[in-house]
Amino acid sequence: MNAMDTYSDIKEVNLAYLMLAQSMVRADREAAIFRLGISEEVADILDRLTPGQVLKMAGSDMLLCSFRFNDSLLLNLLSNHERDRGVGHIHAAILAAGKPVEAVA
Amino acid sequence: MRNKSVILEARDIRLAIELIELGARLQLLEAETKLSRERLLKLYKEVKGESPPKGMLPFSTDWFMTWQPNIHASLFMAYFKFFEKNTKLKGLELIIKAYRMYLEQIKRGGMDTVLSLTRAWTMVRFFEANMLQMATCKECGGEFVTHAFDPTKGYVCGLCHMPARAGKTRKAAAIAV
Repeated sequence: MNAMDTYSDIKEVNLAYLMLAQSMVRADREAAIFRLGISEEVADILDRLTPGQVLKMAGSDMLLCSFRFNDSLLLNLLSNHERDRGVGHIHAAILAAGKPVEAVA
Repeated sequence: MRNKSVILEARDIRLAIELIELGARLQLLEAETKLSRERLLKLYKEVKGESPPKGMLPFSTDWFMTWQPNIHASLFMAYFKFFEKNTKLKGLELIIKAYRMYLEQIKRGGMDTVLSLTRAWTMVRFFEANMLQMATCKECGGEFVTHAFDPTKGYVCGLCHMPARAGKTRKAAAIAV
């Protein structure tokens, strides 16, 4: 994969992420805050972004979303198929709700 | 107090309809809206097409301690505490939002709704009255519902150490076959 491909892939992911995040915030603010793991301030910013700003942000060569859970236990719970799936997801949701959200410094 | 404002009454009716649809009992409606009992009764019959269940509300904190209810109660409280901390929601709105998130999660997992809205609402009141508390599991670090004043040191949750027969219901067996 050459550098140009990577760049356009990143741009695509960024754009998809920003558009999804924005529509989530607009549809159900509180649920979006939980599902995206962001603070109210970040939700406000996302809500106010214009299409032009979204495009500009997406066009950078850095990925805008990052791994949210650095916790090995949580990653195990979300990827483990041995257990009853529903119960594993409940456990993961309980743990995820206890984690702090991303905020603007 | 009967309220005189038509706008306030309209708001209360809308709220009551939402609560009834989520499965609230009449006592919850009486406590949270200013509508009269007769009006609530009529509203309930109109929305649900049947008379509201009679009798007292569940009043025991023990219900929240057995394995399955505890998991469901803890999941609801996880959402409740998250929204309490990270959003401006409060009071009944907060309960409704947390309950909707709980319902969605349960539905996606294909499980039965164990915790009713009335139970969730009662549980929040138990927390306010210091009858229940959250304990941190020493293995996963998640917070779970326990009796107030129970020792929390070395607490291990029901998900890290599942009891041998947990979740082995007739229904689960039927699905597995």
